[in-house]
Amino acid sequence: MWIKGLFYIVVFSTLADAQPSWKRKEGQRKAPLERFHSIQLASLPTTELLARGDFFYEIAHRFGPVSSGMEGFFGLDGPVNMRTALAYGLSDRLMITLGRSNIMDNVDLIFKYGISEWDNSMLPMTFALRGGLALNSEVYSPGGKRAVRDSRNFQYFGQFIVNSVILEKKLGLGLAPSLIYNSFIFASDYRLKTKYTINFSFYAQYYFNRMWSLFAEYGMVTGGWQGGVTLAEAENFRSTNSVSAGVAIETGGHVFYLFITNNRRLNSSQYLIGADAPFRLKKLVLAFSITRVL
Amino acid sequence: MRTLILGLILVTGAPRAGEWHVDGSAANRVVFHSSTTLLDFKGETDALDGYIYIEKDSLPAENAEVYIEVSPAAFNTGNGKRDRDMREDVLHTDKYPLSWIRGRLHILERDAAHYKVVVRGMFFLHGVSRPVDINGTMVARGKYLSVEGRFSVFLKDYNIRAPELLAFIKVAEKIDISARITLIRVK
Repeated sequence: MWIKGLFYIVVFSTLADAQPSWKRKEGQRKAPLERFHSIQLASLPTTELLARGDFFYEIAHRFGPVSSGMEGFFGLDGPVNMRTALAYGLSDRLMITLGRSNIMDNVDLIFKYGISEWDNSMLPMTFALRGGLALNSEVYSPGGKRAVRDSRNFQYFGQFIVNSVILEKKLGLGLAPSLIYNSFIFASDYRLKTKYTINFSFYAQYYFNRMWSLFAEYGMVTGGWQGGVTLAEAENFRSTNSVSAGVAIETGGHVFYLFITNNRRLNSSQYLIGADAPFRLKKLVLAFSITRVL
Repeated sequence: MRTLILGLILVTGAPRAGEWHVDGSAANRVVFHSSTTLLDFKGETDALDGYIYIEKDSLPAENAEVYIEVSPAAFNTGNGKRDRDMREDVLHTDKYPLSWIRGRLHILERDAAHYKVVVRGMFFLHGVSRPVDINGTMVARGKYLSVEGRFSVFLKDYNIRAPELLAFIKVAEKIDISARITLIRVK
């Protein structure tokens, strides 16, 4: 009897050995963490990056107050603040952007670096650093027109960006605490000592489908200079917290942002100082940004 | 009689098969390359798994069974939008979460521990399974096998079509796929 049992053991062990023992390692199959669909929203950056060798173009306008009615065509007659920028992916984790705004002909050079991601089932997060310098290249100070490369015309800024995309990839949330140095480039003309601004910005975007989404941005100045940006705003001017909200439309490589805002400043070293108008219906302006990955 | 039976167990029950699994801790890579007039890009992933199995206790061996699978959703092209378009509009990874190669190993040349090989089998992608020959090399170092292979596929053969409006992805009709995989012996 026991000989028969041993025979079966031998046969089955041999047959069992004739099959691979491999089993799928479930933990290995991980898609990259979901990110915002673009490297930026209307004004604030996301942790999304360009791939190495990819170009990205942005054109953005901030119009006059909607309250101008038909006479000013709801602000579209202007005056218009605008920004244009070109970005390039130096590597898959590092990108560079060169932009220009017509507010004091502010030209900024910005680097963004993807730090890491934290894969967590409750709140997956991605992190990036963004920093750059800005040159206000056409500046009229109380003492006359400054030289383009006057050291007082330079501004510096850095941002730490945290993003999370949740609710089955439908809701994107972002934080972007920021520090700006030489926030008010006329500070020395007015013997002001405060040279910096701390801004705590956050934003959200809800994707209804591949094409349509709603977004909102809120920028809160929490420390330092919160006065004006231009010479005209030098005295008795206080910037306010920024609010922007609107719709984003994705078509191919384009993203169109159509929104209202109380902040007509565009370049980071100006936008992050705060909004140039309070968040009141009469002060809101129409705005758009169009981006394209080339 | 008992001695005979015990001897039989030792002879037949001893491990005879050779089995190597993909070493998850190694720097494995599957890379695809798409090249068009307007745009070149590549995607890569280390999210692969599989095995090589041979009933004989030696490897590389002729006719070894090869199975390697990849999760197309894990491919990273360095651009989130492009990745998303690829997953949702091109490869439909929710519906087809795995792509795999199953075939048999054939040795073409051998130079010490270096082998020139071809895997003949089926490549499954986007719900379509088609015959494929994958040429490659294999190096045996102790309990490890380093395998490299390269082949090309035509997207239309796998019912893959890039959408024209919504997706930001310009895909070549012919995609080159290469892989570098380390396997570790498990028995």
